Amino acid sequence: MPKFTLALPAWTWFIVFFAVPVGFVLLFSLGQQVDAFTQRPNVSPSVWSLDNFRDAIDPAYMPIFWRTLKISIIGTFICLVVSLPFSYWLATKVSPRWRGFLLGLVLVPFWTNFLVRTIGWSLILSPNGLVSSKLQDVGLRDSPLALLYTQTGVQIGVVYNYLPLMILPLFVAFDRIDPALREASKDLGASKVKTFAQVTMPLAMPGAIAGMLLVFIPLMGDYITPTLLGGAKGSMAGTLVASEFLDTFNWSLGGAMAVIMIAFILAALIVVTIVGLLLRAILIANRRVRLPSEVTA
Amino acid sequence: MSAGTAVRARKRVSWTGVALTVWGVVVFVFLFLPIAWIVVFSFNTGRILTVWNGFGFDGYKAFFDNPTPQAAVKVSLIVAVCSALVATFLGSLAGVALARRPGKWAIGFLLFVALVLVTPEIVDAIALLPWYVLLGKDWNLTTFNSGWTRLIVSHAVFSTAVVTLIVRARLAGIDETLEEAAGDLYATPIRRFTQITLPLMMPAVLAGGLLAFTLSLDNTVISSFVFVQGTTPWPVYVFASVKAGLRPEIASISTLMFILTVIAIGTVGLVLRRGGGSSTDIAATMTGTGT
Repeated sequence: MPKFTLALPAWTWFIVFFAVPVGFVLLFSLGQQVDAFTQRPNVSPSVWSLDNFRDAIDPAYMPIFWRTLKISIIGTFICLVVSLPFSYWLATKVSPRWRGFLLGLVLVPFWTNFLVRTIGWSLILSPNGLVSSKLQDVGLRDSPLALLYTQTGVQIGVVYNYLPLMILPLFVAFDRIDPALREASKDLGASKVKTFAQVTMPLAMPGAIAGMLLVFIPLMGDYITPTLLGGAKGSMAGTLVASEFLDTFNWSLGGAMAVIMIAFILAALIVVTIVGLLLRAILIANRRVRLPSEVTA
Repeated sequence: MSAGTAVRARKRVSWTGVALTVWGVVVFVFLFLPIAWIVVFSFNTGRILTVWNGFGFDGYKAFFDNPTPQAAVKVSLIVAVCSALVATFLGSLAGVALARRPGKWAIGFLLFVALVLVTPEIVDAIALLPWYVLLGKDWNLTTFNSGWTRLIVSHAVFSTAVVTLIVRARLAGIDETLEEAAGDLYATPIRRFTQITLPLMMPAVLAGGLLAFTLSLDNTVISSFVFVQGTTPWPVYVFASVKAGLRPEIASISTLMFILTVIAIGTVGLVLRRGGGSSTDIAATMTGTGT
């Protein structure tokens, strides 16, 4: 019996219900819509072309792809800035007795239905909702503030929806650092800031990178948050792709848009990886002490 | 640490510690704000959810009087149980193979698992809808015209990957000596598996199964593409209602499903804790960030 026998059912499952269907999307993107009433495009090799990609980067759609990238980058960055002190606090300052309970509390919103959380925000952000009325109460605004169906509304929504995906890997990373390393750094005369910047943060870097990936990738493909909070002014790539498949039945164009969306994700990841590796090389070159994680590198 | 620093730490209030605690409280408020809002507004008596009218149980009454949302919740529960069973079966086997029979094949397989986990859900959704049409209508595999099959299968793709990683992590942490001892004592491979390996991996199998159940219960994006009229799961019902206009009953269903999710996730936590995991391990497992 070959070693992978027991994995064979799952492997087949992934091929039949993941790899092949996704392959078909690629095929659609090369094909042609037959007419406005036929769902399935013509995908015979004789009609293969890149026309759908040309249509998808049309000025009507391109700003939405750029907006998606912008919302995702800003969203990932805000999640990181919010989570860094929070996860550090949870992992190092909270007493171990409370830590498990508080961690459980972070998991609750994470596991609450995405749709439900987003509907909660649509209540809070609506012109007669909490944010608007509180701002009027304290006199910061004299008229209702419409955050719902704006890009800002989507931005708040995505930060909220993906925040736990940044908090948790960062917490795990901070929690696994031996406190002795921080104490050693302080005993050797480093300030709190210096200890954090030169000892704690480099060791927590894998967690930060995992968190950024876990937030950025699904955020780029988000469909529910922009639909519920964005309206026409805050639509994202996911909304575009979905409407080609569900409303206009142009699977070819929708497929091409999905491919462009994935290309945006991959391009962003490649750029960030290169910049990250360069920064790491510069940081390591400028430091005299090697941390345990870097000895092997 | 010397006695001197301990005394100093007790006497001096560190401003960074205070600032971090304040920030921690702020983030928790942020995390629970929309959930609290939904729960509060589920007791709204008005006709429109967004405008507060008064306190009452009208939303819950509307849910229990209306067969459509009840049917949707029922569809979701049945689909969640079935897809969790499928995913637990496939994922557990794959997890055992990865932990106990590693090799070059594992690299290729794990690449698949990783791709399944990172692909944005909308891509799976637009890929599966045409695929089911092709299988069901062109190739006459009529089961794929059924909403049940479509939902169960779709939900069980992602969760199979999750269960695989959880079971693999559990077995990789336990060395093989017990299983080898059973083999030395002439246990057949089947008995060895059912009496030694299976009990050892049980906490991971249960936790994985419950996570698969919750993932299916919550799935909105793929479901709203592949569902068939007559088998509408509750998130799709809610999503459609949002577009038509929010009513308080939506908040009531959401609150009820929220309670169900908390119970399921609390159980996962307990199972993993009794299986000997630290809270860090549990958090890592439950978010798929630990492996």
